Amino acid sequence: MGEEILEMKNIIKDFPGVRALDHVNFTLEKGEILALVGENGAGKSTLMKVLSGVWPYPTYEGDIYLDDALVRFENTREAEKAGIGIIHQELNLLPDLSVAENIFLDRQPLNKFGGIKWEELYHNAEKVLSRLNMDIDPRIDLGDLTVGKQQMVEIAKALSLDTRILVFDEPTSALTEAEIKELFTVINELRASDVSIIYISHKLEEIEELADSVVVLRDGATIGDKINISEVTLDEIINRMVGRDIEDLFPTVDFERQEKTLEVKNISVPDPFNPDKKLVDDVSFAAYKGEILGISGLMGAGRTELVNAIFGVYGKKSEGEIFLNGKKLNIKSPADAIDSGIALVTEDRKELGLLLDKNLVMNMTLPSIKTFSSKFAMDTHKERTITEKYVDELNIKTPSLDVFVEKLSGGNQQKVVIGKWLITDSDVLILDEPTRGIDVGAKTEVYRLMNQLVESGVTVIMISSELPEIMGMSDRIIVMSEGKKTAELEKAEADQETIMKYATGNKGAE
Amino acid sequence: MKKFIKNNGTFIALIFLIIILSFLSPSFLSSRNLTNLVRQVTINGIIAVGMTMVILLAGIDLSVGSTVGLSAVVVTLLMQSGIGMWLAILITLVGVGGVLGFFNGFMSAKFDIHPFIITLGVMTIARGLSLVLTQGVSVPVTNRTFAEIGSGYIPKIPSLIILVIALVLGLIAVFRTSMEIKNGDKVRNKAKLTGGIILTVAGFLAGFLIFIGYQGIPIPVAIFAVIVMIGIYTLRKTRFGRKLYAIGGNEKVAWLSGINILRSKTMVFVITGVLSAASGILLASRLNGASPNLGDGFELDAIASVIIGGTSFMGGVGTITGTVIGAIIIGVINNGMSLLGINSFYQMIVKGFIIILAVMIDVLNRRDTA
Repeated sequence: MGEEILEMKNIIKDFPGVRALDHVNFTLEKGEILALVGENGAGKSTLMKVLSGVWPYPTYEGDIYLDDALVRFENTREAEKAGIGIIHQELNLLPDLSVAENIFLDRQPLNKFGGIKWEELYHNAEKVLSRLNMDIDPRIDLGDLTVGKQQMVEIAKALSLDTRILVFDEPTSALTEAEIKELFTVINELRASDVSIIYISHKLEEIEELADSVVVLRDGATIGDKINISEVTLDEIINRMVGRDIEDLFPTVDFERQEKTLEVKNISVPDPFNPDKKLVDDVSFAAYKGEILGISGLMGAGRTELVNAIFGVYGKKSEGEIFLNGKKLNIKSPADAIDSGIALVTEDRKELGLLLDKNLVMNMTLPSIKTFSSKFAMDTHKERTITEKYVDELNIKTPSLDVFVEKLSGGNQQKVVIGKWLITDSDVLILDEPTRGIDVGAKTEVYRLMNQLVESGVTVIMISSELPEIMGMSDRIIVMSEGKKTAELEKAEADQETIMKYATGNKGAE
Repeated sequence: MKKFIKNNGTFIALIFLIIILSFLSPSFLSSRNLTNLVRQVTINGIIAVGMTMVILLAGIDLSVGSTVGLSAVVVTLLMQSGIGMWLAILITLVGVGGVLGFFNGFMSAKFDIHPFIITLGVMTIARGLSLVLTQGVSVPVTNRTFAEIGSGYIPKIPSLIILVIALVLGLIAVFRTSMEIKNGDKVRNKAKLTGGIILTVAGFLAGFLIFIGYQGIPIPVAIFAVIVMIGIYTLRKTRFGRKLYAIGGNEKVAWLSGINILRSKTMVFVITGVLSAASGILLASRLNGASPNLGDGFELDAIASVIIGGTSFMGGVGTITGTVIGAIIIGVINNGMSLLGINSFYQMIVKGFIIILAVMIDVLNRRDTA
């Protein structure tokens, strides 16, 4: 280490009306893992687009030096040739082609008739994959691999291009714990072979574990200089990101547990692809007024499936009994659940939560559409008034009620999803990963809101993959592993180690 | 101005088309020709109103043409067998239009099969049924009053009164919808108001010149106008309409928000089936009989009207007003080319290109705004 490979100097990038990057400076050394952190909209992606030639030279100001030589990429191809690769959040691969074809797309070895030399192609692919110590058959279809393995293929593709600087943009958001471990091993090996890494992530624990150094971006500018990870605490990083202290992050309030509201007994959901397996296996729990119930567990533990079953998503396919305030409910569809007073803020807000090309009013009144209409006509005036009230209360930043929600930032979109369920005035609000992909400021607002709801008598249930969040917000925590409930912990007895122990499958006494 | 052209592109295209045709063929603008044109438009237009809702759900209904044929045959045969006119019409609307529509909607929604497949099947089944029922030959209408529905007119004086009432109601609607809420204040959108007034008055004048100048409002046109108004109201103001836009926008989100997809989808196909049956009845009435091949290819004109009218094939975006303009464009092209003596074979080719053009404009617009 020590040899400087990349320097970005005084990078400025303007969009109409906004300065997205404002004199950004940083350097990257050979074999260094540099974490690039910042809230959503801080400019991380824009900076990487400048680096990788998506924004060609005259569209930005400033200089990029590669091996002390000034470079000005005209397009992504040139950046690729210079050895800069990006692993995007959404993978850029073709699921119906083989692993080898994906790695060498458009660069397959050809015979003189233009046919592909398959054996040579597979051999080359094996060679690249072995660099990653990956046991992946280059002959099988990419689509048959797990997301984690597909990402490895994407990395292999980058390596086959002699990449010297590899950018990872939120690489772990779709991975399981085990896959994340595997990825980290690979990244560490890449570092050992002198590849330099720029690692963008929201998850600060990952950065602490992986990175050598960290650069913080806020509002398009670098905050302070690059710091060694060993010389800085997470609190200090967060402080740089948001300009405030971590204590404000989880606004905890002590509530008094009141009467039992939602109770579920023996919920099971079969695995549609494997009749012997259950996605949710005989789970029972109760939730109370006056507390936040957290549901923790690793990816694929069956948490989302559990709350979906309660919400009626599986119809008659799921089993079990659901009681609300002592009354047995017969829920066969989301419509039934909503009528019974249960609301679910889904995990994937873009695919499952929002009508992206519709305005705020239409999105927010959809689940409670009945209350906004007489037998025939919609009461548009009432709709706007109520929507406006919730936009104010939730502090949703929008130019008007008529913009399409796709134009809003992630945090504001999430607030629209929460708002649409608040309007239903439900007794139980279930939130599945409510702060995924939104910035720290918006997160705190969501936490405050959850506390307010509990105070006003709503039973709140939250699924979260982030341990600090689960521990910071919940009064009681259910841990799931492989479809089963493995533990139920009071706030006082929950620490990271205990939760992880149960989440990884150690069945404890309930 | 650019925005105005973009938002009203099809309407402007229609105006141009009319201007060009009126130069090329002097008889185009005659009251008689225009009355016939509008009456021809109604047959396709009534179906297209239903098709708009189907395509709003990102669906398609290929069976409408066959439904027209079967309805025409059934209503004629029922009357031949001595059943009264109104009962025969009711039975046809419910028994042919309603049942076929229900089958289309229920099957595709319940079993999650693309309506393309189901309605393709029903298209063939319904056509086969018409051939079976008629043994492949045309059947004549025996009821005299029945012919009035398709070819009769509302007399001039009542027609004029209807037009004046429509003008007044139209202007009131324009005034009401031109109010917008901006930053909490009610503001009148001046452009929308002026545009609306011009359109309404122009519509009134056109109606006056076309219908009063000839024999009054044709009865099918009056029926069409009522259907269009109910359709516009349904999509704009009712809960049902709102649900359609939501389902078309993202079916999964709509379902998770508590909307009964099965019921809404089935309802839309039933509406389209009933409207197609109504269209078939009007056609049988005007032709004074039914042939088993009646309505062949009508699905294409209906789909074309909807697409030209700006409804997106992806679902979730579209209006009935647009569809009506689309249907008139198709009607004007058919009529104009006939007047110019262009062989109907060529007419098909021209229409095909126009459909492709309309879809391309839709796609390019989308890319612009994205």
